[in-house]
Order: sequence, then C-alpha cells, then structure tokens
Amino acid sequence: MKRAPIPPRQTLKSKYGIDPSLLKKRGAELPGICSLRTTDLFPDQPEVIYPNEQKGIMAIREETQRMMGRVDLSKIKPRDSVNVLSSHHGFTLLGGEPYAEMLRTIRDVVAERTGCARISLRVGQGLRYREGEEFIRRFKLDSHFTNTSALAPIDAGVPIETEIGTLYGTKKAYDADWIIHTHNSDVREIHFHRMVDRAVKPFGMSYARLETRSGYHQNLGPRAANFMARAIFDSDFVQKKYVCTAFLMVAPSGIVAVDCDNDLYALNDRVVIAGMKYYGKIVTLLGSIDSCVAVLDFPAPVPYVFSGGLIYGNFLGARHDLFDLEKPLPSYTFYTEAYYGHGDRHLTHHVPGINPALKMTVHNYAFIGYPSEFFAAKVPTVVVGREQANLFRHDPQSTAYMDHAVTADDLDGAVKFATRLAGTNNILIFDGAVGGVNMSESLADIFLKVAPEVSRRVDQELLPRWLKQRGMDPGVLAAWRTRKYPLAA
Amino acid sequence: MRLVNTVPVLDEAKCIGCVICTSVCPTLAWSLDRKTKLAVLDEPLCFGCVNCEARCPTYAITMVPRDEDRLLYVDPKQVDYAKVEALCRKARFHPEQIICFCTSSRAEEAAAAILTGSRTPEEISVRTGIRSGCTVECAQPLLRLLEAAGIPFTPALDGKGWQIYGKVPTVWKYAGRGFHFEEDIALMEEVIASPAQPPA
Repeated sequence: MKRAPIPPRQTLKSKYGIDPSLLKKRGAELPGICSLRTTDLFPDQPEVIYPNEQKGIMAIREETQRMMGRVDLSKIKPRDSVNVLSSHHGFTLLGGEPYAEMLRTIRDVVAERTGCARISLRVGQGLRYREGEEFIRRFKLDSHFTNTSALAPIDAGVPIETEIGTLYGTKKAYDADWIIHTHNSDVREIHFHRMVDRAVKPFGMSYARLETRSGYHQNLGPRAANFMARAIFDSDFVQKKYVCTAFLMVAPSGIVAVDCDNDLYALNDRVVIAGMKYYGKIVTLLGSIDSCVAVLDFPAPVPYVFSGGLIYGNFLGARHDLFDLEKPLPSYTFYTEAYYGHGDRHLTHHVPGINPALKMTVHNYAFIGYPSEFFAAKVPTVVVGREQANLFRHDPQSTAYMDHAVTADDLDGAVKFATRLAGTNNILIFDGAVGGVNMSESLADIFLKVAPEVSRRVDQELLPRWLKQRGMDPGVLAAWRTRKYPLAA
Repeated sequence: MRLVNTVPVLDEAKCIGCVICTSVCPTLAWSLDRKTKLAVLDEPLCFGCVNCEARCPTYAITMVPRDEDRLLYVDPKQVDYAKVEALCRKARFHPEQIICFCTSSRAEEAAAAILTGSRTPEEISVRTGIRSGCTVECAQPLLRLLEAAGIPFTPALDGKGWQIYGKVPTVWKYAGRGFHFEEDIALMEEVIASPAQPPA
C-alpha cells in the first residue's frame, strides 16, 4: 500500500520566505520517503470534488453556482455595494486556486442575480500585513472585483457594540451596504477555536481590529474566547449588513463541497461536524505514534505548515485530544504559551506539555511573520540554510527563534543529525502533499498498523463525545454515513 | 525583552505624506514634517516592528539591518518585586505570565515599566519592546496593567491615529452563556493565584 512520494506544495515567492532558488531539496526527495493516501489509512474519507481530473477548477465553479442558487440574495439591490469578505487561510489550501475560484464565482452569481455592479473583495489577514496583497496579485483578483483590499488589524477600525461590550472591526470590512462571509472548513487552528463556532470565528479575527484579537487571546480564556466572534456577528451593526455565507468544505483528501447558507449557525453545525468527522481520525493517528522527526517544508509560518491536512501546531498537541473540551489547554495555544513561567515551569497543572513523540524538527522551508519562538524553544530544531536562519533572526515576531535552534548547511545533513540524535527513523513531512502524507517507510508501517484501531475508537468513542460536548446529538451522524458530503450534488 | 536589529528607511521620492505610517506606529516614532509634507522618523523611538513598512501604500519604506543592535528591557528586579507582583495580580495576570508572544515578555516587565514611570502603552513599548512584533496580541494586557495602576487611558494622537482604541471585555465581566466561561475563569484564577518566582 506504500506509494511513491506525493509532490510537495510548490514553493512561493513571497516577502515572508527565502527566495525559492535557495531551497535546494524538498523533504519528499529524501531517501526512503514514501506516501500513504488518507484513503489508504481511512477508507471512509469523503469523496472529493477537487482535485478533479475531468473538470479541473470548473468543478469548484459549478458547485459554487449550484449552492449559491440556494441562498436568498433579495436584500441586494442593483445600486447597492457588496463586500465579499474572505480570509488568507483559504489561499493556502491546495495552492489557493479553489478558494480563489469560489470567490470569483460568488461575485459572478451576485452580479447576475441582483444586477449589482459594485462588488468588492476584502481579504482578511493574519499577522503578515502584505500577504493579502500577494494573494490578490497571485490570483489576479483585482481584475474581477470593483476594488480589492487586504485587511490588517492595525488599519482604521470601527467600534461594534455587542452584548459583551464594545469590540472593534476593521473599517474596510464593513464599508459596503452588504457583506457576504466566505471561508473554508479546514480545521487548521484547532488549538484556538476548539471547533466551537468554527464558522463564525473570522468575525472575531480576520475582520477584526487588534483590540478584539488581543482580547480573544488574552482576556476571555482558551475556550470562552470563541464567544467574541459570536458577539460581533450577532450585533445589530453586522446583522444589518449580513446577507449570506459560503464555505469551501475541506477534508484531508481535498475539497469535498461548497456549502452556502443564509443561516450562518446552520452552516456552522455542518462545519463543526465535518471538521471532527473528516479530521478526527488523522489527528488521533498523529497522536498515536511514539517517536518522530518532523520536517517543515511548506510556504507558511512554522505552526501552519501542513501534513495530511493538519498543521504542525496540531501535531504538537495531538497526544492530548485537541477536540476534547473538558481539557482546558491544548499543548500549544497562546494561553498555554503564556503559562510557562521562568525556567519553563508550568504556572498551572493544566499545561499538558508538548506531544512527547515529537523528538526533533528539521525546518527546511517555512515563513516568518508569526510568533514562533515557542516552537524552537520547546522542540529541538535544526534550520536548513543560513539565509533562512538570517530571515528568522530579523523577523520582529520571532527574533529569538534562532536563539533556540541550530543551523545545517543542507537538508540531508539536518535530517541525518536529527534522526541520529532523536534515535528514530520515523520522519513525518509537513509539505502540504494533497490527498495523503509523505513520510519514512518505518512511520508508514506504524500508521498502517494502528489506523484500524484509531478508526474504531474515533467512530465509537471520541466522535460521539465530541459532538455531545458541543450540544449535538450523535444521531446527526446518520446523514453523514456515506462518503458524500450531505449537501453535495 | 527585545533585540532591535532593523530600522526603517524612507525613500522620500515615494512618500506621499498620507500619514498611514504615523497612524500604525505603536511607539509614535513617525510624524509628518509640515513643511516638506514628508514622513520623518524619530529613530530612538523606533523598535523595528515593520508596521510602517507593511502598510505604506507606495512602498516607500524598507527595513534594513541596524548598524548596532539595541536591547530593550526593563528589569523587574530594579523594583520592589512585591509591588510588581501586586500590580500584576490586580490586573489579573500572574507576574511570570507571558503577555507578548513575539518577545516572550512577561507581565512583570510591563508592570516594572509602569512602576518606574511609563504612563501609556506607547511608553511601555519603547522601553520594553512589548508590541514590537505583530503589535496586536499584547495590546489588552498593557491596558489592563495601566488600569490596575490607576492610570487612565486615552488613545494616542488624540484618537486620530489607529494605535489602540480602547479596552475590550474580560472573562470576569461576562459569564452569561455557555462557552465554558466558568471553567475558564477557574483556570485563569488558578494561574493568577499560583506563587511567583522573581527572575533570576
């Protein structure tokens, strides 16, 4: 069942990464690397609509048109203005084109059905305030919308009165008569949202000012913080502008659907179920191994590099069940990071520690622009190439990252050093391979051995518990028994 | 603690005097020269955060390595640690709690800055380097610590800039509906109450 390595996500020219020409070798090119498809591990993984050999990107356009046909757009009049609100995360999925095509299609559908011509795109950003512009240019989105703008949390803001008090959004997110919320169901930051109001979160983050984001990460608590986005979305200010939501529905194996709804909370329930059902097994699998060296090899900041549809930040916490809401702190989240005192002592016994299976990390290719010192401080790290080390030394968000890491001249030397020191041949590569995971043969053997029991445990024990913790009857899974997304064509 | 190793350089030919750099600067290092209508950097106030470079609409600003690195740090040991501890706990932080994830700065350092004379978030930042990375996630702790010290907050530049608009709610102000509010309050209270060790 072991297969040849899957091509890694291609490199990107970006101000946040080294020049691609400096990257001499990818993790998938290392000797002894093979791949497993996610369906090899878990045959019940959902059917995908993309990648699609027959239709290509048209599969996304057709599904977006079909699902947008279900939503009511009657609020929008020909002379009105509309902002399509998007988030940077979507552009990192399968190279970004599926999300870009969903956005273009939404614009076309709205224009055609309402006669409205003033349809603008707003791209919410994380902590890299030129990244949105890079995405807009890369996908030529400025030629498709009336105007485009990347939203930074440090830009001009607007106060939003909510049931918990004043919060702040970015002004440009809301500078139209109407807003359409677009996102994706990739689980990504499970450590932050914990699959609580996952579909609502961008209102408290991508579209929000720094005060709101800081409050989320410092004032409300690791689980309660997710109420912030709901408070903003439910505010009169937002409700007077809100029209509908469109989500690119994602699984480790690819894009499974486009889901559109006027009722964000109805869509949110589907996003939460999909996240736990489609990703629950792979994250539990990653938490089941005993030892491993991780190779970071993807054009995104350190915690956001992907393997099997999951980010490195998830792997740090995979041993401690990230979906279990009875556990207050995952291994990595800002609240957890905050609770390491002098000399790394834990300020509470709830700090779970890092996944003990993660022995060392080889940082072959990752971006700056995110607070990343924690990762090098907690996991012995080898950074490949002096240029990359120098890039991190001058990143104001991670100036101390290299204080904890060593450098190697090349990937082969780094991996040899790491596996010898870690005493393991198990290598897991975070390179964004689509539809599967690249890894060493020894790790593939372990994955194949433990996957059936992981599958049983998630289906029979964990998934029902996760649903109950979020107020859902496990009976809802009846609609999810086939491999097709419930609303797919 | 923050080692400042970069500094912005302005290409005056590209500057249009839009004052976005002054609006996004966490330390008020940029201002507009009224005569030339060009942005001017007060370099000692700059802590190399890149906000100006990242938001300049004409790409007039680039970050370059500094000739000499500069270390920003307020040592909590220079203040009676009992006072540091009391201020942190009043603001509902453990003194050792990290409040700035880009610089790994702890609440005790911001408290020491306040106890030695800083009266605004901008003044704390200039001395400690807190908010010199993403400039986002650590804004609220500074306001909470200043409030606990009895120092009233007014937005910088008379509210005409975009530095920090104001405080937002804490979990203690709102515990009305699900979302594990009560459990998270218990967790945070446990952290706040745990014993502190001054820095070595």
